[in-house]
Amino acid sequence: MLQYIGRRLLVAIPTLFLVITAAFFMMRAAPGSPFDMDRKLSPEIEANVLAQFGMNKPLGEQYVDYLAGVVRGDLGPSLKYRDKTVLDIVKENYPVSLRLGFFAIAIASVVGVSLGVMAALRQNKLTDNVVMTVAILGVCIPTFVTAPLLVLGIASKLGWLPTAGWNDGALANMVLPIVVLSLPQIAIISRLTRAGMIEVLHSNYVRTARAKGLPEAVIVWKHALRAAILPLVSYLGPACAGLITGSLVVEKIFNLPGLGKFFVISALQRDYTVVMGMVIFYAGLILVLNLVADLLYAVLDPRVRLA
Amino acid sequence: MRSIFAFMYRFFCRQPGQTILALAATLLLTQGCAPSKPQANDCPAGKVCIRAGNGVEVLSLDPQKVSGVGDHRVLLDSMVGLTMASARDEVVPGAAERWETSADGLTWTFYLRPALWSDGVPVTADDFVFSLRRILKPETAAEYASLLYPLLGAQAVNEGKAAPETLGVRAVSPRVLEIRLEHPAPYLLQLAKHQTMYPVPKHVVEKYGNAWSKPEHYVSNGPYTIVSWKLGDRIKAVKNPRYWDADKVCVDQISYYPTTDNITAERQVRRGELDMNADIQSNRIALLRDKMPGYVRTHTYLGVSYLTYNNNVVALRDVRVRRALSMAIDREFVTNKLMRGGQQPAFSFVPPGVANYEPAKLPEWASWSFAKRQAEARRLLAEAGYGPGRPLKIEIKHRNSADPSLIMPAIQADWKEIGVEARLAQNEPQIAYAAYRSRDFEVADAAWVADYNDPMSFLYLMNSTTGAQNYGDYNSPAFDALLKKADNEPDAKVRARYLAEAEQVMMNDAIVAPVFFYVNKNLVSPRVTGWVANLGDIHPTQYLCLKGADKAPGV
Amino acid sequence: MILASARAETITKAQAVQGRSLWEDAWRRLMRNKAAVTGMVTLAVLVLAAIVGPWLSPFTYDQVNKSDVWLPPLANGHLMGSDALGRDLLTRLLIGLRVSLAIGFVATFVSLVIGVAWGAVAGYVGGKLDEVMMRFVDVLYSLPFIFFVILLMVTFGSNIILIFVAIGAVEWLTMSRIVRGQTLTLKHKEFVEAARASGLNRGAIIARHIVPNLLGPVVVYVTLTIPAVILAESFLSFLGLGVQPPMASLGALIAGGASDMELAPWLLIFPSIVMVTTLMSFNFIGDGLRDAIDPKDR
Repeated sequence: MLQYIGRRLLVAIPTLFLVITAAFFMMRAAPGSPFDMDRKLSPEIEANVLAQFGMNKPLGEQYVDYLAGVVRGDLGPSLKYRDKTVLDIVKENYPVSLRLGFFAIAIASVVGVSLGVMAALRQNKLTDNVVMTVAILGVCIPTFVTAPLLVLGIASKLGWLPTAGWNDGALANMVLPIVVLSLPQIAIISRLTRAGMIEVLHSNYVRTARAKGLPEAVIVWKHALRAAILPLVSYLGPACAGLITGSLVVEKIFNLPGLGKFFVISALQRDYTVVMGMVIFYAGLILVLNLVADLLYAVLDPRVRLA
Repeated sequence: MRSIFAFMYRFFCRQPGQTILALAATLLLTQGCAPSKPQANDCPAGKVCIRAGNGVEVLSLDPQKVSGVGDHRVLLDSMVGLTMASARDEVVPGAAERWETSADGLTWTFYLRPALWSDGVPVTADDFVFSLRRILKPETAAEYASLLYPLLGAQAVNEGKAAPETLGVRAVSPRVLEIRLEHPAPYLLQLAKHQTMYPVPKHVVEKYGNAWSKPEHYVSNGPYTIVSWKLGDRIKAVKNPRYWDADKVCVDQISYYPTTDNITAERQVRRGELDMNADIQSNRIALLRDKMPGYVRTHTYLGVSYLTYNNNVVALRDVRVRRALSMAIDREFVTNKLMRGGQQPAFSFVPPGVANYEPAKLPEWASWSFAKRQAEARRLLAEAGYGPGRPLKIEIKHRNSADPSLIMPAIQADWKEIGVEARLAQNEPQIAYAAYRSRDFEVADAAWVADYNDPMSFLYLMNSTTGAQNYGDYNSPAFDALLKKADNEPDAKVRARYLAEAEQVMMNDAIVAPVFFYVNKNLVSPRVTGWVANLGDIHPTQYLCLKGADKAPGV
Repeated sequence: MILASARAETITKAQAVQGRSLWEDAWRRLMRNKAAVTGMVTLAVLVLAAIVGPWLSPFTYDQVNKSDVWLPPLANGHLMGSDALGRDLLTRLLIGLRVSLAIGFVATFVSLVIGVAWGAVAGYVGGKLDEVMMRFVDVLYSLPFIFFVILLMVTFGSNIILIFVAIGAVEWLTMSRIVRGQTLTLKHKEFVEAARASGLNRGAIIARHIVPNLLGPVVVYVTLTIPAVILAESFLSFLGLGVQPPMASLGALIAGGASDMELAPWLLIFPSIVMVTTLMSFNFIGDGLRDAIDPKDR
């Protein structure tokens, strides 16, 4: 097991290297520079600015410098936010994104699995059809439509929740963003659960369990569900990617101090170092989550052996 | 059939990890369903706190490293220059109690009031000398340093051709500062309240270097001092008890939020989550006036939106073409139907209301009907050799921000009506400006907001020596000569006349097509008192108060 | 994009189709599925409207009508109203639908070509090559792809071709996994053995015998990928990185409508309805196809 984890982490290093290299050169190939503004910089000042950030060197040398920095754990200063380093920004802002993502996936799992099981137990009946139609709707309505509608209805008109802002992580401020983030995930998870559940309910060992006279509830919740949610575990990785995508939108609409918002802004402002920092952070996060998902899979499914 | 919740319960009890998740989820959901009140956001009991939407994220708290209006709004509360802004944005004494000018207008002497930095160290003339040298030193790489070029020797210092000590600024005594100029500049007092002339605390900068502007080291000489800054969330500043006028300051704590989305911010103000926001999406102003009476505050602003022609493009060297294109823009449609926020159609370059100025005469056609203008434009184009058989084809490069994206298609349609085939090419603002500076455009959409209240802040853009920012490469000896005469003229009235003549020259050459003059648009809760709409859109928190607070507002 | 793995999971279960009669069976089952038929009819109408509609309209999508600013539906000849520049919403919606569908189809096609080629070669050749090729896919899977799509847009400026390529390049991964799995099972089927025995070379076997028999799961995957692609484009448009105005896409129209929803609700409502209808049609068809091709669940 430990050996497996070690090997996976070793594989992660070239992957990260690839990510860093691709992102570095793509960012530099983009037209414009972080120091372009509507105001001109005198050539002398511009040269000084470039020298200050080591950007007067040839690109190859900058790349090597950057890699060396990453190895030392130094992601460099932000080119736009002059008082902050990239690490400052990641440290200050990742808890927000992570907290939202964690709650969203937790709620999506609970609600999605319940709905999926409900639908599977009443296959092709009204409940099933309703749940599946809602699930398809959940996938088809983009978050940037649900978010403003919910804000307008629940926050502005009814006044139940704050409309936006982080407010030092107050629970009330998190509810709407989490709901918006989790809706598409609920839809997907309920569909996955239903499909898995239906297959398992027709399998031999469930039939055996029934024959043994076990109560239906035990069969469903203990035996069947455990096998049926396996696909869910392998969905964890993509779910995380989906949440990141969603958080770019949600953090923008709800004006939350998360990392996602900075990625888009920084890419547009050509804040090279911040963009790189975000890419490294998220690539690392996804690598770790994939590993966790695989380990979890092995723990839940005795047939899988890690090698 | 047992209820599904019973099943769920049993399932989760066997999975302790997931029980926690379930509990957290339930907690979250139940908490969320209770109607919530807008939160006071860590406002200590009995204190007056204001939450302000600042529009953008601040880039730095070091006044010498920033250039945006959003940065200025925050720094304005912490730092005080030699002069400062009143609630109406007039120049009033700041760190200097009074000042004198020599007869030739070249030497200014400022007498500082006794004052302390927020850490108790006295503010001295030496701090100002240190600050001005620091911002001009090439190593500081201050983007805005060129604003200080009227100071004697500033440009040479900034370009690394002279030592910082050669700058014409010196401390005559700890409380007397002498500033010498290259040429008379009646706007020096305006400049003295701008962030580029703010003092920075010499003793702190020498101790921490560039890290001095981190909140934990921050020291200010103004009414507030910054205590925390979480990027993307907020900057928090509290009242500085050592500020000389602290007795008159009502608001104890101010939080600035980076409200990048105007509509989100608008909803927050409406629900009382914010007390004010520094911008409004223009076309919603009428709606908001109706839905939120008393909140919308607009005022003319020192800004102009214009199209600039690239003089390196052969077709645009013809003044008839430039004039025809300018005439054919339906500015009233832009202001009344697209912007809808009280913006005024622009037929000149320098906005109305600017200080030290006698507005230039508008072009004759400004008063014509639109149909007549179109007819004349068609005639001019035909005269220049364009017509149905040989249409003028031109590309408009524009920023992809909200306003230009709305306006440019309308202008494209206007030009189509006089037979001009215009193509639109949009870029992110930063990229667009880079293209303008390298002259990679035919017609470009640009905008300018004054740094200080003086016509020179607009007109210098078209000076042939301005370089990169003179996007169209306008080169008129007559225009340049008038600006030079104005610079060397100590009499404000005569100077104003020269400047107006210069504007006249550039408008006759139709070197730009002004589109509209800006308005500043603020959303301010009626419970905030002491807030006055003004030309510069400058609203220091020290003059504000909240209704019902048992303190008198500052003014 | 979020759908990718969910789709992969359900689709790999669909078995390869072995004969003509099976296709006929599948077709009959599909026709009995009311949701799928509704989806197909709706989609046919939408596609037809997107192709023909803009020609029939008296307006063009970028035509500014100064006297028609923000007209509600039905006013002054604008069936669905007009936007801030007086442009006809219906015309823009039809063009937007056309653009979104085109992006959906083309990007899916790109992913199809790369995915099928990659997966079939890996699966058929097997051994070390398979190992390397699939490990490469695993590595790409673990990249924060949305970031790369955004970076691509920023680097090269957003144009439609790039959107096709960028999204297609993301979606082929799942496709290659499915195809590889199917190829592995097909590889040892009698007809492939026969072809091999008759001396056909590898390339010919892959092209003539393997690829055609992958059709079932691939068709299902394709119908479910198209809506995911359309959604991905709309997301880029919301961030301002999708198609550039005055060109429209469903996502761009919705994003624009959302910011003016109190002033001109029709600008949000109509594009949203069209978008949801389109995506649901694809999903119903995809689900129907899966059930029809793999009757196990029924």
